[in-house]
Amino acid sequence: MKSGKMLNENFVAIFLRVVRIIVQIGILNIYYYLGVGIVSYLHIPLPGSIVGLLLLVLSLIFKLIKVEYIQDGAGFLIGVLTLFFIPATVGVIDYPELMSGTGLLIILAVIASTLISIYVTGLLTQIIEKKELAKKEMAIKEEKGELTVD
Amino acid sequence: MIEVMVVLSTIVMFILFTKLYQRYPHPIMIPLVTTTIVSAVILLVFDIPYATYMKGGEWLQKMLGPAVVALAYPLYNQRAIIMKYKYSILSGLFIGMITGLVTIFGLLRWIGVKESWMLTALPKSLTTPVGMQVSEMIGGIPPLTAVFVMIAGFVGAIIGPLVIRYGKLDTAVSRGVAIGSASHGVGLVKLREYGEQELSVGSLSMGLTAVIGAFFCPLFVYLFM
Repeated sequence: MKSGKMLNENFVAIFLRVVRIIVQIGILNIYYYLGVGIVSYLHIPLPGSIVGLLLLVLSLIFKLIKVEYIQDGAGFLIGVLTLFFIPATVGVIDYPELMSGTGLLIILAVIASTLISIYVTGLLTQIIEKKELAKKEMAIKEEKGELTVD
Repeated sequence: MIEVMVVLSTIVMFILFTKLYQRYPHPIMIPLVTTTIVSAVILLVFDIPYATYMKGGEWLQKMLGPAVVALAYPLYNQRAIIMKYKYSILSGLFIGMITGLVTIFGLLRWIGVKESWMLTALPKSLTTPVGMQVSEMIGGIPPLTAVFVMIAGFVGAIIGPLVIRYGKLDTAVSRGVAIGSASHGVGLVKLREYGEQELSVGSLSMGLTAVIGAFFCPLFVYLFM
């Protein structure tokens, strides 16, 4: 009897969570289509999803929407993000010429270019970041220094 | 009918391969790689055209839109660290964009490929929908660009962690900017495992690289080709 009740409560909790995720994905979809609409109306050469993302960030910052209204749906979609890339990736099978000599060389070039980018970007960003941090710490110290002089 | 079958079988495979990856967390085992390979093999073996598969695949692909919008959530959560390092992130993004364009341009020039292939490969570090649009704008072959975009993503997700480890990229900002600007959303899948800071800097980098790239890529073509 007791365990049956607990199972019931568990089921209700899971059911509510699923409903919440679905409703929140609906809200995310509204932002997506807002982005798509803006892009096609203003003829901006950008995907609607990026504009929708920016709109949602702005809405959250200016408190037009509470983060609680999207966090479960967003967390779920980010968790299964990979799934949505699969169909586009399977498209490789339509390009057998990629398996030719030139095709493979281009693939190697893409791989090399990406690796170099990651390394160079990461390394330089880290150097700039440490300088930015050091500058900020200096500024804080100077402020404190002034305070003690005063 | 085929639509439902494609969607269901992809989801089931994805769940199984995710479980397998949790047990054997090797980079080559990430569910995107395994599910894609198995799906491609099934299509080839049973001689199913990609267009038929995409009738169902489209349903999943449509979710990419709201999923990209969802990246606003980690971005908003981590706004403090982003504001703290805004100059590093912005300059890192430009470095990433320029390094990516110059290296692929130089390498393909050196190999000596046709111009149409070159234009197809240039937008490889932009997220799929932007990459395909830019490819069309500059005269590349958009579906093939999508393939190169995916390869750039795979490199970030599979070999990226090695670059991070052996290149001693120790900070969340440098990891996020490097992977996000070179390997877009597919790279983000891997960044998620490092932490929310990496993921949010990464999604900001992916988004801004797409925005900057949409202007910068055509400009690069105009200036150098």
